[in-house]
Amino acid sequence: MPSHTYDALVIGGGHNGLINAAYLARAGKKVLVLERRPIVGGAAVTEEIFPGFRFTEFSYVVSLLRPEIIRELDLPRHGLKILPLPSTFTPLENGDYLAAWADHDDTRREIYRHSPRDADAYDDYARLMVRMAMAVKPLLSLVPPDLASLSPRDLLGLFKTARYAASLSEKDLYALAKLITQSSADLLDDWFETDALKGTKSASGIIGTFLGPRSPGTAYVLLHHYMGEIDGAFRAWGFAKDGSGGVTASIARAARALGVEIRTDSPVEKVIVKNGRAAGVALQNGDEFHAKVIVSAADPKRTFLQFVEPKYFPDDFVAQIRNFRVRGSSGKLNLALSELPEFTAWPTTGPNARPPDPHRGAISISPSIDYIERAYDDAKYGQPSRHPYIDIVIPSMIDPDMAPPGQHVMSCFVQYVPYDIEGGWTDQKKAQFAENVIATLEQYAPNIRRAIIGQQIITPADIERIAGITGGNIFHGELLLHQLFFLRPAPQWADFRTPLPGYYLAASGAHPGGGIMGAAGKLAAQEILKDWK
Amino acid sequence: MNAYDTLIIGAGHNGLTAAAWLAKAGKRVLVLEKRPVLGGFCMGQDDARALVPFPRGIIRPDIIRHLGLEQFGLNPAPVSTDLISLLPDSRQLILSTDTAKTVESISQFSRPDAARWPDFVRFMARAAAALEAAYATPISPLPKFSISQGLPLAQLALKLRGLGAKDMYAFIRLLPMSAKEFLDEWFESDILKAALASLGIHNANLGVMSAGSAYNLLHQYLVRGGWGQPAQDSRQIIAALERAAKSYGAEIRVNAEVERITVENARVTGIRLTTGEQIPAACVLSSTDPKHTFLRLVTPEPLDPEFVWQAQRIKMRGVTAKIHLAFDPSIRFSTLRQPSVPESNSPATYIIAPSLAYLERAYDAAKYGQISENPYLELTTAGNLLSVHFQFAPYFLKKSTWSDETRNTLEQIALTTLAEFIPNLNSQIQNLQSLTPLDLETGFSLTEGDPHHGQLMLDQFFFMRPIPGYASHETPIKGLYLCGSGLHGGGGVSGIPGRNAAKTILKK
Repeated sequence: MPSHTYDALVIGGGHNGLINAAYLARAGKKVLVLERRPIVGGAAVTEEIFPGFRFTEFSYVVSLLRPEIIRELDLPRHGLKILPLPSTFTPLENGDYLAAWADHDDTRREIYRHSPRDADAYDDYARLMVRMAMAVKPLLSLVPPDLASLSPRDLLGLFKTARYAASLSEKDLYALAKLITQSSADLLDDWFETDALKGTKSASGIIGTFLGPRSPGTAYVLLHHYMGEIDGAFRAWGFAKDGSGGVTASIARAARALGVEIRTDSPVEKVIVKNGRAAGVALQNGDEFHAKVIVSAADPKRTFLQFVEPKYFPDDFVAQIRNFRVRGSSGKLNLALSELPEFTAWPTTGPNARPPDPHRGAISISPSIDYIERAYDDAKYGQPSRHPYIDIVIPSMIDPDMAPPGQHVMSCFVQYVPYDIEGGWTDQKKAQFAENVIATLEQYAPNIRRAIIGQQIITPADIERIAGITGGNIFHGELLLHQLFFLRPAPQWADFRTPLPGYYLAASGAHPGGGIMGAAGKLAAQEILKDWK
Repeated sequence: MNAYDTLIIGAGHNGLTAAAWLAKAGKRVLVLEKRPVLGGFCMGQDDARALVPFPRGIIRPDIIRHLGLEQFGLNPAPVSTDLISLLPDSRQLILSTDTAKTVESISQFSRPDAARWPDFVRFMARAAAALEAAYATPISPLPKFSISQGLPLAQLALKLRGLGAKDMYAFIRLLPMSAKEFLDEWFESDILKAALASLGIHNANLGVMSAGSAYNLLHQYLVRGGWGQPAQDSRQIIAALERAAKSYGAEIRVNAEVERITVENARVTGIRLTTGEQIPAACVLSSTDPKHTFLRLVTPEPLDPEFVWQAQRIKMRGVTAKIHLAFDPSIRFSTLRQPSVPESNSPATYIIAPSLAYLERAYDAAKYGQISENPYLELTTAGNLLSVHFQFAPYFLKKSTWSDETRNTLEQIALTTLAEFIPNLNSQIQNLQSLTPLDLETGFSLTEGDPHHGQLMLDQFFFMRPIPGYASHETPIKGLYLCGSGLHGGGGVSGIPGRNAAKTILKK
């Protein structure tokens, strides 16, 4: 049985695991990343599912990746290239559409067409959200304190949190408190009257969440999606060259350049505990690796309930992790297309032909808040939405390397698709889910069915099976208020440490949560280095 | 010199609590009540032929002590009645403040749940105590608080830490959870969880799966002092508060409807009645809801437009209707329900809340502006009267308005639902009356028919109730205070906001 020794072992080669490893290596540590699959990337991978068609299988857009990480790891030099998604296009049931374009004045004019009042409110709303995103930003690089602890570290954390709150103006503090506790429907109803505008904006409040837009707490999720920056511009979403796999490939290159060793096809069986400390990792094939520090970039359930025997943790902690909510709520339908979808609201052929501008951006099936709320109603009683919210991007329009010439790949992010459905996921149910999506798309783009030459259906159960995320929740745990900041993933253990000395959590299940953000990976590395003696 | 220092608008439990508290401290207080009877929503309709509904309540023990309400006839330790969940198969689940009795009842549905019950009750008691402490903490306008204002908050923080790490975090986590999530962590029986979760949606425009309904569950548990409605009906409470207020020197005028709170240079000068009579005073407390106060009783001029915007956005969105049934006085309610079961003497609160999905579906209707076809009902009895609390009957209907037709629909749904669970009831009904959310608004000045004077939601909680920055009972108008249920700690018959307002004023 071969045995190897490192300073640190990182379980999982997703973006957080790789970023964590890179920062540890940057501090001079000898690091090995163990990835279960044959490729790195975790849920940010690009794979050629049909010959010539490369799919961004799970995660499909980038925005939240922290700019300081891009800078510090010099990711552009390692191949990171983000191409902006310039527009959002919402086709409507009546054949009209609502669009937000790259040009601000165009967007204002477009909203004005639907409602002059909303066009007026639009700038104020955008300003508020940017201000709120700015206000929350410092929290993303703060290590959450333990409110019950009197240790100097936690008191300092508490002080930093209080100082942060005191640094906000009274008005911003109240606006933020409202935003964190409100429903996205209530937030948007305060500002706008156009159904499609409210529907499309509210969709950001439900992504990865098992709540409807009328449930309190969803406005925070909406804000979470506003925190993305590209080159300093808030609320800018982009598509990475070569898909999301391009992001993780560049991080992997940066990590390797810093001396990180990465082993693929290395599924972890368990964490080895010696003398009450995490001391190594045993792979499923029996190989063992030893190190001073073991980092898990897997989700909290896997990290604490599967890799380590519960006896090493206090009972309360185990109960907390069991209660951690990881209900998957979204799925994907990845399509290989022989031609572009032709939207009734935006013909690209025939007498009224227009250039395929919307196809270069995001396309959102979200005609109203009620539409999305009804989609949620189906899911909460255990069925995939009959008329789902769909967020579409066509990567081959932005990056021609993604599909053969003249043909396209289309990524459809679909909600709601529950992990637990009545009777469990079967091939028949998967086909029904795909049919719901295609039938919905057909209402807006009648040629879609005949354009499909290949499809990949991904349910939360598939996300769990392929990407190894328990429950298939894209955030490793829902962004619910009681699972944020000092409560993520469990009270008293929100500082990336765990009750098992030498064992750390460095992924989306820790503060500040999911998306291709990388903050958890970086913050965990900082804490690990602080503990290093 | 003015004849009164302090005018109080509305003689509900909070208005009277504030009146008695301030009068006891030597203020010259006048209470103005629009209706011919005191008690506001506590005393139901004033029509002599009406079937009078009496909401139940418990005045907080410290208020009873401070005002000596016991000597004015108030029972100091009223018990919460059993909460009995009626099930379609004629079984029933009893939740009682008597733990042994509850454990026995739960064990017919789940033995593990029965075993966990005592721990659950212990946790609820501690969490409710923490919430009560929060409700007793004066809220300063954050974040510019001084040492004197910050001290109570620091004390609250210490009190929370005193719960120990485990319970403190359990309390903090509970507030933003959905009732279902919270209960899923404790129990397995859907029947038990549904019965408990009904408290989470009581009077709330929320479903058992909506985030924040666990907070409402805890709030209801606190103000009820248990699971069922308190055995004490609010007639006793109002009568005792009236006697106390008067004995301390407060004056109370009925049939005195306030038309306007008069303001000069952003300072209150008194009130004007609908009769045109002006009553000057330097201090006015309004126990009506904040929307009613700021949007009807005050003209908009003295208020900042941003403040008015905030006031307009307070979420009331009533979803509760009441239906009152009278049946043959010779018949006891419990025998109607189950002729075979021997008559019990203690009153109980009954609910139709057979499953979590049932409750959630009832709420789904409200989301789309419809009356629930299978509603959540809570029944309280008094003699031959049955008061039915009906949810969800949204104030804002989408495809219709509240009219004779929709009222008829509401009543029919209630009767059909009742007949499913209490087969012998309908043939015995002698009289029936309903209060739609619109009736609650017109009859009791409850804006949008919300008995809580503002939804108990997280974004209207603590320093955000009723409006961020104005949770301290003060308003942008100097001398004008709020003391009703729309404030921190309000919702249900407890006297908390009335007490807090009086304390705030006395500190000035």
